[in-house]
Amino acid sequence: MSDPAGEVKLEVKQASKEVKESENVAEKYSAMTVSKNSEMNMGELSSAFSAVPTHKPVKKQIQFVEDKQEFSRFPTKAGRRSLSRSISQSSTDSYSSAASYTDSSDDESSPRDKTQVNSKGSSDFCVKNIKQAEFGRREIEIAEQDMSALISLRKRAQSEKPLAGAKIVGCTHITAQTAVLIETLVALGAQCRWTACNIYSTQNEVAAALSETGVAVFAWKGESEDDFWWCIDRCVNNEGWQPNMILDDGGDLTHWMYKKYPNVFKKIRGIVEESVTGVHRLYQLSKAGKLCVPAMNVNDSVTKQKFDNLYCCRESILDGLKRTTDVMFGGKQMVVCGYGEVGKGCCAALKALGAVVSITEIDPICALQACMDGFRVVKLNEVIRQVDVIITCTGNKNVVTRDQLDRMKNGSIVCNMGHSNTEIDVASLRTPELTWERVRSQVDHVIWPDGKRVILLAEGRLLNLSCSTVPTFVLSITATTQALALIELYNAPEGRYKQDVYLLPKKMDEYVASLHLTTFDAHLTELSDEQAKYLGLNKNGPFKPNYYRY
Amino acid sequence: MAEERDQTGASWGDLPQPDEYPEPHLEDGAVLNGEAKEKPTKHEPVKCKLNLLQMLKATESWSPPQSRDRYGAEKSEVGTGELVPEALKTGMQIQFTEQKPKFNKHSANTSCRSPAGSISQSIDSYSSVCSESEDESSPRDKPQKTSKGLSDFCIKNIKQAEFGRREIEAAQQEMPALMVLRKRACGEKPLAGAKVMGCTHVTSQTAVLIETLSVLGAQCRWAACNIFSTQNTVAAALAERGTSVFAWRGESEEDFWWCIDRCVGAETWQPNMILDDGGDLTHWIYKKHPDLFKKIIGIVEESVTGIYRLYQLSKAGKLCVPAMNVNDSVTKQKFENLYCCKESILDGLKRTTDIMFGGKQVVVCGYGEVGKGCCAALKALSAVVYVTEVDPICAVQACMDGFRVIQLREVVRQADMVITCTGNKNVVEREHLDRMKSGCIVCNMGHCSTEIDLLSLRTAELRWERVKPKVDHVIWPDGKRIVLLAEGRLLNLSCSTVPLFVISVTATTQALALIELYSAPEGRYKQDVYLLPKKMDEYVASLHLQTFDAHLTELTDEQTKYLGISKHGPFKSNYYKY
Repeated sequence: MSDPAGEVKLEVKQASKEVKESENVAEKYSAMTVSKNSEMNMGELSSAFSAVPTHKPVKKQIQFVEDKQEFSRFPTKAGRRSLSRSISQSSTDSYSSAASYTDSSDDESSPRDKTQVNSKGSSDFCVKNIKQAEFGRREIEIAEQDMSALISLRKRAQSEKPLAGAKIVGCTHITAQTAVLIETLVALGAQCRWTACNIYSTQNEVAAALSETGVAVFAWKGESEDDFWWCIDRCVNNEGWQPNMILDDGGDLTHWMYKKYPNVFKKIRGIVEESVTGVHRLYQLSKAGKLCVPAMNVNDSVTKQKFDNLYCCRESILDGLKRTTDVMFGGKQMVVCGYGEVGKGCCAALKALGAVVSITEIDPICALQACMDGFRVVKLNEVIRQVDVIITCTGNKNVVTRDQLDRMKNGSIVCNMGHSNTEIDVASLRTPELTWERVRSQVDHVIWPDGKRVILLAEGRLLNLSCSTVPTFVLSITATTQALALIELYNAPEGRYKQDVYLLPKKMDEYVASLHLTTFDAHLTELSDEQAKYLGLNKNGPFKPNYYRY
Repeated sequence: MAEERDQTGASWGDLPQPDEYPEPHLEDGAVLNGEAKEKPTKHEPVKCKLNLLQMLKATESWSPPQSRDRYGAEKSEVGTGELVPEALKTGMQIQFTEQKPKFNKHSANTSCRSPAGSISQSIDSYSSVCSESEDESSPRDKPQKTSKGLSDFCIKNIKQAEFGRREIEAAQQEMPALMVLRKRACGEKPLAGAKVMGCTHVTSQTAVLIETLSVLGAQCRWAACNIFSTQNTVAAALAERGTSVFAWRGESEEDFWWCIDRCVGAETWQPNMILDDGGDLTHWIYKKHPDLFKKIIGIVEESVTGIYRLYQLSKAGKLCVPAMNVNDSVTKQKFENLYCCKESILDGLKRTTDIMFGGKQVVVCGYGEVGKGCCAALKALSAVVYVTEVDPICAVQACMDGFRVIQLREVVRQADMVITCTGNKNVVEREHLDRMKSGCIVCNMGHCSTEIDLLSLRTAELRWERVKPKVDHVIWPDGKRIVLLAEGRLLNLSCSTVPLFVISVTATTQALALIELYSAPEGRYKQDVYLLPKKMDEYVASLHLQTFDAHLTELTDEQTKYLGISKHGPFKSNYYKY
């Protein structure tokens, strides 16, 4: 495990097999895309899926309108998570907004207009203020503490330089955590140019610190839409430097390259895409036969999925509820709607604090799992009068309706852990007879004419993103997965990856996990030769077949 | 003992070699399934509803090709086991040498479970409860008749039918899902015209399954898949009601094949469905009655071994009928591994050692489904649990669930208990055993008897002392004692029982697989091995929800549209990990 380059060589032998497996997965995904399409077509849901319509210019605008609104109202972006998918997109914001203490108000001029030079005399970047580099460096150093996996990846692979010659153009949130990733890529031999995937999420001082070390960063907090595309273009279009790898979050960069620089795009060795939206776009491209380079979907890797959903939500449900309401959990009657990964996490956490937890579920298999884990499976209507807290995590819409809210008892809490802001029918509460009272940030009391109050958290947006933070450890998993995906794509022998969208090979997934094990001081057992032979496994993994459910 | 261990290890080591195994296993199955299944689905949406009634309506309009078979009867001239082809025979012999000694020594069959394997054979541990040996003559020699005058069966003693009926009625109480299925589908008779030939353990639970199939319209003939597991009383009760059963407890190997042959070789009756556990029946028909085999509509196979054989056939291009792998269905897998072991680890340890768990330091080797179950149960009783793991993903899961991940040798000195569930061999070695403290309990929940290196304990300086059944003290020269449970065999099969609920899940899955294969429109299943479609899997789960008085929420039309799924399932994509 200590030698990624060696692993890569080992994998060469299995290449053909893996490619085949990946193709199977891709097939499944294309099947899935169909069903996603039907979601997309529903006009009124544009808020949830606006980023994915087919016509491109329109899409951009919608996306930005949405971002702006949300950002202007709340410090954090109430992002979207589809059924079993990623929080990557939005999760980083909540972080950045908390951490970004140097705000841009002191200087109103656009960074585009002023030329800056870093201490080495380079001016190939565009950030708010290069002088903030020192602050940014501190931020990055703090983040490094919590991202030990990337640091150990640096150490392990530094001498091999698996990314030597790679010219990576990236478009992600620019935060201290991303900076650790970028600097890791640089340490592994890559040249990087970076831009922001969100106009509000950039930490200016971090961007400055990166520019100071020679990474060409084009990003600042509060870009206009025009700035956004200008930054992407400056990032890609640099004389004498042609990117050969793309690291994208949201698919904007990929689309820009695809549309504006088709010749450069064709020469790309691989695309690594993180967000649901971007992955969906890639599958659409691939389906249309227009994807001419291999792409890797890191969103659906096992480790990342478990951390984004199960483990992350298990902690943030308690955190979010405590921060907003100071509720005591013991003995409270709680209903968790949905028993998928998120629901399982919430239930486990609540049960551990002595709450009486019931479940609502539509899928009999998940319902049976809930039964076997000791939770009552009920219909919401049956228990609505007694519950103290309702938590939705279904990925569905209108799971809690006005009718049900009417029947809730005074003081009950309603919140959403699932998907966008569709799960609670908040619109139905915006009627004249109900009074809304904001008692504190993210907490509204909705008051019925008879004086009954229902406490609505984060206006039905995602509680875990609005009212709690995403642990750096989770971001570390994501960043490590991205780094390994880049290494895998860049080093794969010709022919292993064709013009399609692939999942991260299981071996790399396992490697992500193993890099994080040191945090727990966990000591992995190694197979003896005899045991490896008995199981018919390679000593270094992959240890499980692809269909293994974990 | 040592010899037996070796054989066991060898035969299983040869069987599911993961090298070849995973390839046809689920990935392909799932994809094929997806292709063959989902495409026709779009044209015939009715057939994909979870609602059985709707599914069955589609069935009515489709006439099974079983009518062809009715006139094609040919006399089968098959002798005894001698004629079995070489390849098959060696396979069988290995299997039998493996089974016999175990049954002689223990009432329960300590069968192996491969990492993703089945506990199907564990039903024996039940059957052992009622054995009787008053009659030594072979049932083959004496013709018997039911009260209705039928004699197309061969069992120990038809007079025991009444006892058997009581057993079956008791089992019905504990298998509500099948009873619900009977009620829901008996009007439709989804299996009308099906001639199901079965080869499973003949126990009261199987009897409930067989009678359910009959209620759904099928005709059944049954043989035993294990020479020791038959409950004679139950076989009698089945025969009395008109099912042709050929099985008794303690068959010889020759009897075994004779029973299968009698089961197949009725002149006026040709099977069109096979329900198999172990693959013996399938192979017999494949080899001896190739014409018959070709006309089979579908095979449902439950055991790991049988599925392995089917995949081999399929790989060789010799499988000319569709087969369904019910072993790897989600519900069944979760119940046999996670939930079952979660309970039986406590049960098994309590029954054998009466240990108190609170504060004890326990090492669980392996954090797969079985390991997760064991850890959860032990943690709930406040044991201090450590985990050893080879797979980093599972190791991270263990960390996040609050267990320390260590290497066995780091904590072996302090451990009060070591539980293996890796599916691997020699996980606990002599070196570890040497360093354990006195009174440490060692047991195996994983796979066969290979996980603990017992051979290394059979040395002159160590003294073995049997303190009670299944519990051995191994005494070191300095007086240290290690408590070894079930001689390293599977604790959950040897020292605790398999809950009927788990068997009910298996039986329901089998019944639904038969229905699915039998009523599928032509072309949905080709000549390959399939996984149970997810909607059937979900249906198995939903039938069992009633036990918990669980109330499933239904999607509104608006919500189904939003999610882009059918109101009746399947609710999850094939790759969903649950």
